[in-house]
Amino acid sequence: MRVKMGKKKNTRVSLPMVTTLLVIGMVLITLIGALFVFMSVYRDSVTQNAVTNSEQAVTQVYNTVSNYTEDMDEIMIKIQESYQKPTAERADFLDALMHVRSDVVSITTYSQTGRLQECWANDYTLKDRPVENLSYIKDLVHSGERYYISEPHVETLLVNYYPWVVTMARQIERSDGSDIWVAMDIRFSEIANYVDNVGIGQHGYCFIVDEDGSIIYHPQQQLIFSGLKKEDTSSIAKLEDGTITDGNVIYSIKTLNNSAWRVVGISFVDEMITSKIDEVLRSLAILLFMVLIVAVFSSLILSYAISSPIHKLVLAMGEFEQNAIEFSHQSIHGTAEIHALSDSFGHMVVQIQGLMEQVKEEQVSLRKTELKALQAQINPHFLYNTLDAIGWLCEEERNRDAVEMVNALAKLFRISISKGHELITIEQELQHAESYLKIEKFRYKNQFVYSFDVDNTCLPYLCNKITLQPIIENAIYHGLNRMVDEGEIKIVIKEDGDDVVFSVEDNGIGMTQEQCEELLGKEAKDRTGIGIKNVNDRIKIYFGEKYGLQITSELDEGTKVTIRMPKIKEGTYETK
Amino acid sequence: MKQSRKAKILLACFMITSLMLNTGCGRQVAEISNKHYVALITKSTDSAFWKSVYAGANAAGTEYNLNITCNGPSAEEDYTTQNMMIKNAVANGAEALVFSAVDYEANAEAINEAANQGVKIISIDSDVNSDKVSAHISTNNYQAGKMAGKAVIESGEKVLNIGIVNYAVNAENGQQREQGFRDRVKNDKRTTIISTINVPSTTEDAKAATMEMLKLHPEINVIATFNEWTSLGVGWAVKNMNLADKTMVVAFDSNVISVGMLETGEVDALVVQNPYAMGYLGVEAAYKIINGQEIENTDIDTETTLITRENMFDQDCQRILFAFD
Repeated sequence: MRVKMGKKKNTRVSLPMVTTLLVIGMVLITLIGALFVFMSVYRDSVTQNAVTNSEQAVTQVYNTVSNYTEDMDEIMIKIQESYQKPTAERADFLDALMHVRSDVVSITTYSQTGRLQECWANDYTLKDRPVENLSYIKDLVHSGERYYISEPHVETLLVNYYPWVVTMARQIERSDGSDIWVAMDIRFSEIANYVDNVGIGQHGYCFIVDEDGSIIYHPQQQLIFSGLKKEDTSSIAKLEDGTITDGNVIYSIKTLNNSAWRVVGISFVDEMITSKIDEVLRSLAILLFMVLIVAVFSSLILSYAISSPIHKLVLAMGEFEQNAIEFSHQSIHGTAEIHALSDSFGHMVVQIQGLMEQVKEEQVSLRKTELKALQAQINPHFLYNTLDAIGWLCEEERNRDAVEMVNALAKLFRISISKGHELITIEQELQHAESYLKIEKFRYKNQFVYSFDVDNTCLPYLCNKITLQPIIENAIYHGLNRMVDEGEIKIVIKEDGDDVVFSVEDNGIGMTQEQCEELLGKEAKDRTGIGIKNVNDRIKIYFGEKYGLQITSELDEGTKVTIRMPKIKEGTYETK
Repeated sequence: MKQSRKAKILLACFMITSLMLNTGCGRQVAEISNKHYVALITKSTDSAFWKSVYAGANAAGTEYNLNITCNGPSAEEDYTTQNMMIKNAVANGAEALVFSAVDYEANAEAINEAANQGVKIISIDSDVNSDKVSAHISTNNYQAGKMAGKAVIESGEKVLNIGIVNYAVNAENGQQREQGFRDRVKNDKRTTIISTINVPSTTEDAKAATMEMLKLHPEINVIATFNEWTSLGVGWAVKNMNLADKTMVVAFDSNVISVGMLETGEVDALVVQNPYAMGYLGVEAAYKIINGQEIENTDIDTETTLITRENMFDQDCQRILFAFD
């Protein structure tokens, strides 16, 4: 029973488990929720950051390039002004300018027909017959504009000197009123180097395109021209100024004020965000793990604090269930609630035990009263038959026999009543049995014999009154009455350890197993049956379950009824 | 009982705090050593070709956030110095070597040694005799030679009396270029290969040897030569002997001088490689290999371009011929 209950408990979820799971679940949900919120916020802010970075980089390049071109514009204006001065003075100014501004590679002038007239190029010499002149762009000169900035190109006019330059050209009116073109070749490598070194994020970069989308300068232009890399400049040409996020690419575009150049910044959202988010995720995973450990720890402690006293209480209740009478409740320590629960349980136990005791006592006294009432009944048949037999003896003038019968009957009744006591000495019980046997033997005209085998030390012990008589009655009526041969009843009383054992044995017709069980069963059919059951019940009520009657019988062999009682002396019963 | 429980909680708190501190420190250390180191070791350092290789390598280094060093011996035959540089780079913790071998055989041992220490090897331009090379990036030298041959055949000269000025016989790429050139011109009826000379790879040696060859074989009207320094040597020889108009010179690689000669007529065509791409792709391959990525092609050819006087200032050719300084 107990084992079974234990198993049942194990299959159910225990309190520590519930609280632990609950705490872990709550922590997990909170953390994951927080993680998601954090991630989206973080992703937004990183994207925003990337966009800002991209914009800043592009703005820097934009500023640098515009400063550069503005600077060059100023120089150009000075050159223009110098044409208002005498030739010698102008030549000195240009020589000085060439020395001061190392980024100006050459200054050349052209007639209206496009003939090269003058050239300043520091220490470099002008080629005799240049293969091509990329500084003077006929198409632009003839377009009607008075000013142009060329695409970057190689300086083609100087011997063994091929720097990349941008040509800034302007139509100037000389003091004599004729127009000339002045072209200034400015070294491009400074802008190029600057653009090369602009990085956005890990792989982002800047480059410059013109309005058609053809590349002015790209840090990886050599890769692009040799087909190793691709830059989708035509689609970039279609984009407006500003910042556009397309998939994981951020385009930042800004058009220069004084030219058709556009600065383009390209960066990649993916790498900027993914790598950072990976980092964050890693540290969050560690955090999560640690929080989980803490949660498990604390929930274990918490649940232990709550559930341990409850568990004790549960155990106590189980114990009480098993053994209500002997259970005594030890108060359990714990929180105030637990303590109150434990106290209430203690009170309840005491009350239940009191009630149980009361019910038991009431039950016993009720049964005793019932039994007394039953005993008090005198079998009218027995009394009638006995008195009838005595009457016959007197009529036949067998006075001695009549006196003996009357004495036996008197003794029988005296002991039966025995001042209302339930327990009498075995000696008295034996006298009672013997009186009964005498009467019955006389009535049955000596159809049977009887014998006593009594251990004398047993005589002072107490036993229930009228214990032997119903059994002897049964033996006579049901065992010997129907016999042809002479019957025999043997009554033995002896010690057995702390117990006294009575046995009543007859050599009558015997009984089947069913009949034996019926005798002690609930519903006995006739009066003698009721008598035997009564004996058994009384012994059990007075002395407990382990005492009482035992019947062994075999058909045509006889029946033996054994009665077991504890050794009890006068005055000791109440203490037991 | 209560005290021991408190002690346990304190212990747990302590453990968690120390864990947090530990992981925090670990991260910072990891970030410092985050930048990979790639060493670029070339045959020499001062030619326009190698400068362009460095430019490409640095561009890739910036793009992939790598630490790049560029080194090379001063003489293009000096494999001993090159082997030393390999050792130094490995000792300095290079994770990958982008390498151009002076000598196909003599550099092999040093490269194998480096590879055995876990350094990834990428060869550019000239290969080395080692099976530890993870990727090879170079001009297809045979095709480049053929391109030179094609320029000669399409020149319109009536006879092609060809003199070949090549550099070291054991330089693999020079031999492949020569072979490509020969295979392209040999089937043309006009072709006679008059003389082939091998010279040390310096301008002076090439110039002297070429002048000697031209004196010995005045009938030569076409000269093919296969690297930057011999190209200059041949150009100077032709200039010195005033043969610019009479002699067609097909040369390799470009620098300021040879471009000048192309303009003035001593040199008539330049087969220009793409050193920038070599440097860039070499470092890119190194980055990929270090990071355990697959590289689809372990033998990458970079393109060559034929530059003549007519197309030298075309927009695209400009960008190939002239580097940004």
